[in-house]
Amino acid sequence: MIGPLATGLIVLSLVVVVSGIVTTVRDRPMGTVLLALLGVLEVGLLVQAGFAIAGVIRGEGPGETATVIGYLAGTAVIPPAAAFWGLGERSRWGPAVIVVAGFAVCVMIGRLLQLWQGTA
Amino acid sequence: MSEPAIGTGPGRALVAVYGVFALAAGARAAVQIATRFDQAPLAYLLSAFASAVYIVLTVALARGSRRPALAACGIELAGVLVVGTLSMLDPEAFPRATVWSGYGSGYVFIPLVLPILGLYWLLSRKQRGGS
Repeated sequence: MIGPLATGLIVLSLVVVVSGIVTTVRDRPMGTVLLALLGVLEVGLLVQAGFAIAGVIRGEGPGETATVIGYLAGTAVIPPAAAFWGLGERSRWGPAVIVVAGFAVCVMIGRLLQLWQGTA
Repeated sequence: MSEPAIGTGPGRALVAVYGVFALAAGARAAVQIATRFDQAPLAYLLSAFASAVYIVLTVALARGSRRPALAACGIELAGVLVVGTLSMLDPEAFPRATVWSGYGSGYVFIPLVLPILGLYWLLSRKQRGGS
């Protein structure tokens, strides 16, 4: 249940990373595309958090409830912070921040997925 | 302030990386200390200390406080080198990983590269301000 969505979100966060890198290299501030991608990513993360919390309540979680909640909350906080930053820093370094944010979300979903599937 | 800002431009990217590490290391240390402190108190306290350093750095860089940022960068570099070396020499003393063990190998060596980048950034901005 959480697997396909998490995989999709990892791909999406990598799309954010790549478009952030392209924007930084082209020396542009954050545009509509990046902002929209961050928005879609955030919605996906909130849906994932909903599914995951429902799973934990039903007792299907991996047991490490505190860690799972930490990853869910952590990932959900990052895209809005990145978007805020992208709006504030109107140079190529705004998208650079979004690259960092996208990569962090990608790694955190990966860790969450490992945790959920019991491989770590 | 006559000195150039350290929290804008490329500095923003640095603040973002430190922010992520503050969040990641802080949350991890909090969970570890809250749920299984007795398993490896030294490693978990080190994780907490590392996250405190990252939090100080994030705030100092974002606010443009050069001196605290420089000091925290120095502590961070010393920490990752000392803990990294100790964890290699005596793995028994670190039964659980910290952010800094194995020179940050659990975090693709970012903890080792970050303070060097941070110091370079802070010092290069200072020189430009003097010219």
